[in-house]
Amino acid sequence: MAINKKLLSLLFLLAAVLSSSAIAASFSDSDSDSDLINELVSLRSSSESGVIRLDDHGISKFLTSASTPRPYSMLVFFDATQLHSKSELRLQELRREFGIVSASFLANNNGSAGTKLFFTEIEFSKCQSSFQLFGVNALPHIRLVSPTIKNLRDESGQMDQSDFSRLAESMAEFVEQRTKLTVGPIQRPPLLSKGQISILISLIVIATPFVIKRILKGETLLHDRRLWLSGAIFIYFFSVAGTMHNIIRKMPMFLQDRNDPNKLVFFYQGSGMQLGAEGFAVGFLYTVVGLLLAFVTNVLVRVKNLNAQRLVMLLALFVSFWAVKKVVYLDNWKTGYGIHPYWPSSWR
Amino acid sequence: MGGKAESGNASPKSESMAAKKASPDLLNSLSFKSLKLKTKQQELLIRVSILGLVYVLAFIARLFSVLRYESMIHEFDPYFNYRTTLFLTEKGFYEFWNWFDSESWYPLGRIIGGTLYPGLMVTAALIYWTLRFLRFFVHIREVCVLTAPFFASNTTLVAYFFGKEIWDTGAGLVAAVLIAICPGYISRSVAGSYDNEAVAIFALLLTFYLFVKAVNTGSLAWALGSAFGYFYMVSAWGGYVFIINLVPLYVLVLLITGRYSMRLYIAYNCMYILGMLLAMQIRFVGFQHVQSGEHMGAMGVFLLMQVFYFLDWVKYQLNDTKLFQTFLRITVTSAILVGGIALGVGTASGYISPWTGRFYSLLDPTYAKDHIPIIASVSEHQPTAWSSFMFDYHILLFLFPAGLYFCFKRLSDATIFIVMYGLTSLYFAGVMVRLILVATPAVCLISAIAVSATLKNLTSLLRTKQKVPQTGSTKGAGSSKVSSKVSLDQSQPFQKNGAIALLLGAFYLLSRYAIHCTWVTSEAYSSPSIVLAARGAHGNRIIFDDYREAYYWLRQNTPTDAKVMSWWDYGYQITAMGNRTVIVDNNTWNNTHIATVGRAMSSYEDEAYDIMRSLDVNYVLVVFGGVTGYSSDDINKFLWMVRIGGGVFPVIKEPDYLVNGEFRVDKGASPKMLNCLMYKLCYYRFGELVTEYGKPPGYDRARGVEIGNKDIKLEHLEEAYTTSNWIVRIYRVKPPTNRL
Repeated sequence: MAINKKLLSLLFLLAAVLSSSAIAASFSDSDSDSDLINELVSLRSSSESGVIRLDDHGISKFLTSASTPRPYSMLVFFDATQLHSKSELRLQELRREFGIVSASFLANNNGSAGTKLFFTEIEFSKCQSSFQLFGVNALPHIRLVSPTIKNLRDESGQMDQSDFSRLAESMAEFVEQRTKLTVGPIQRPPLLSKGQISILISLIVIATPFVIKRILKGETLLHDRRLWLSGAIFIYFFSVAGTMHNIIRKMPMFLQDRNDPNKLVFFYQGSGMQLGAEGFAVGFLYTVVGLLLAFVTNVLVRVKNLNAQRLVMLLALFVSFWAVKKVVYLDNWKTGYGIHPYWPSSWR
Repeated sequence: MGGKAESGNASPKSESMAAKKASPDLLNSLSFKSLKLKTKQQELLIRVSILGLVYVLAFIARLFSVLRYESMIHEFDPYFNYRTTLFLTEKGFYEFWNWFDSESWYPLGRIIGGTLYPGLMVTAALIYWTLRFLRFFVHIREVCVLTAPFFASNTTLVAYFFGKEIWDTGAGLVAAVLIAICPGYISRSVAGSYDNEAVAIFALLLTFYLFVKAVNTGSLAWALGSAFGYFYMVSAWGGYVFIINLVPLYVLVLLITGRYSMRLYIAYNCMYILGMLLAMQIRFVGFQHVQSGEHMGAMGVFLLMQVFYFLDWVKYQLNDTKLFQTFLRITVTSAILVGGIALGVGTASGYISPWTGRFYSLLDPTYAKDHIPIIASVSEHQPTAWSSFMFDYHILLFLFPAGLYFCFKRLSDATIFIVMYGLTSLYFAGVMVRLILVATPAVCLISAIAVSATLKNLTSLLRTKQKVPQTGSTKGAGSSKVSSKVSLDQSQPFQKNGAIALLLGAFYLLSRYAIHCTWVTSEAYSSPSIVLAARGAHGNRIIFDDYREAYYWLRQNTPTDAKVMSWWDYGYQITAMGNRTVIVDNNTWNNTHIATVGRAMSSYEDEAYDIMRSLDVNYVLVVFGGVTGYSSDDINKFLWMVRIGGGVFPVIKEPDYLVNGEFRVDKGASPKMLNCLMYKLCYYRFGELVTEYGKPPGYDRARGVEIGNKDIKLEHLEEAYTTSNWIVRIYRVKPPTNRL
């Protein structure tokens, strides 16, 4: 922190000096340009994945007070910690992807091309005035400030929704289109690091003989029938609830009603689609009825108390009836089909 | 049962004869006894007649499509199958086997004999030849149309025997009834859906049944039968990969849970080795059984089986347990090591091919979406929502968990198999809608176990209660015997009225199932999709027969060597019905070629013209639903053309066709969209047309918007034909202008 503060005050000093001497020292442009670049490079090398964290001073120094055309473009990511909890904005995910693009750019551009583009971020709570300067009032927002732009409110460099829809890949495409620089192949960090993989493998290798021994003795969890049964029921539930659909399509659990934001929509009308909670609710109903049937015919009969038996059975019958009715009703509503029997035409 | 109990009480026969006059009760017992012989016959009679009725039911339920439309081939793939079957019956088997088709995938062509599963065609041709031999002169099309219902009927028989094998005859009967009308199966086997799945589900279930039978009996004959069933399956459908992975997995589970037996050894080894050798005779499959990663699991389990057998033998030879333990450790470790090294070397040297994309997309469901748009684009490859399960299984879904519970209560080699089959296939059904079909037999069987076991318990309970007052003095002995017979559960204290309520509930559910199935078959699954039906404003039926109109126009009005370009969905139909050469078709074997067509469709007209010239295209065919409101037309498929085209040619970029991530065709659409070839061809002259009262001209009914570009001029193409409802539009590609 201390170093940071020092650095910042240093920056501030430099900025003040530069701005005061800006008019006088226009001939020394190339000098100050290389200074700025050197500073940016050193800032970049000290920050994680090459994304420079700027504040109001940094913005004024590197963007507003630097004379155009600046020798570099700057890609600014607008972040707000207080909005991280709103998952539909995907701020954290986008920030991560932004970092990946930046790291890939750094890794693929070593020479002079590497100093033509800098990845920066500013945080709302610390740099509100910069947000105003850019005229940003909605997030997520990513802006490319090209060398010639004077007025920061100029929104031509804004990255569209569609440009970060495919995350790092489309961001890189956007950058390549606008700056004519090459970002190169996106380098994502592997899911497990090499160290973790080797530890996992060695653990598995060590465990194998013990597992084999236990299997041969026949005393593992694998021989517990109840475990298998619950596993089987779980797979069943997992499939019929349409969980795969939710995973593949990345469906949310529920939606907000468009007309009335306070209302939540849990059920989606239309047969090919479903929401997350909807699938689980119906899957639960399926499973309950099936298990009740098994329970009534296999467990309940062992209960000694006749009255308890009758009561539970009535309850089970009622619950199953209600569940079946509900599911059939929901299905008809969702698919829009009205299923009815065919009677002989003479009966009508 | 009551009768038997009583006769057991009056043991010596002569005694009972002497006491005949004295006791009417004993007279009763005698008549019961003479009935007893008949009961068995009666039971057999009832069983056979139920099976016969189910057989007929399975067939006639699938005839809705013929009644509502006409006897014709449905959808897309069946047209290819029909065309090849026709070729087979006309030219004979060898010509068929060596057929090089120059009419599709122009200019590449396609080796038909080596790239199809011939099982379906050969089956239909055999039926056709048999009928002709019996002097029934039917048209080959009728045979093709009715092949699927015929095999569905056969499947019910297999389901009966399978149910009998894993539980009892009652479960078998219920399974046969359930599968006969289950919508999940009917959707792929109505009359006219002449597709590989029609015979493949029969083959699949037959193979599984014979294998389970082989495991239960340990007989070589059943294992041999199972190998032949597998051969038939391999010849009929690519889904055989499911068998060759499920069976080894099953064997592995049996090994792990300590259920290894000589029966298993015989069944698996015979089935695997013979099945593999037989499967290699199918050219399309070839040496995949020893070379492809998808089949390596089966081979691994085969080798593991030998290790188990060897260890068993050594254990028998060695009496010293300590020595055996060391030996065991060394053998198992070295076996795993050798197997791993062999697999690694095989994969690294390229001898064993890695898994294909389709296989990956089953294990990691998000794979296809990111990597293979051509798989993800097909509507039947979409993931399944709960409503599709409900639609295709109805009450079977409720019964399935109960069935699972019953299976676990009475665990045997056979029930383990059906549980594994049910769970794996249900998982796959969740990943892809079309795989509901594979899961259907298992769901039917497991649900049948639940139904049959429950009904059996309840009815036998009702019967005992009725008998109890009659038998009077022999009550104790009788009921104890009955209860030991019924001993599936300890249903003794269960009340009669409770049982009746449960029974009524069960019958109510089953009748709902029958109603649901009939309705779904008749309204949802009998549409041929080549002839479209809609309800008019007055509730009357309107038929759109535009597809056939267009294809017959092609057949009669274009030169015989004309090349037609269309999106790949319509390739099979154009070759089969229009008899013209196509650039791409539903056999999506060459992604680049399809991407070229996608690129042409999504480029500006002059760029597309160069591509079409290079492919010698004479006609372009597009499907358009703007007039009729038909929603699965080319404009709605257009984004996939862009995606697939862009996957190979990066000049095509999806964002160019979208506005703020949204796909639009109205005034707000992106300029690239408004001027690409597909847009122009679909909406040419559409701006003049009033489609709906009270709406401006050029109102697209499929998307519910007014189109954005009403003034479309074509430069290199000209309209050749538009069908009566504008569903199919055909354009002629003009020859290059004379430069002199």
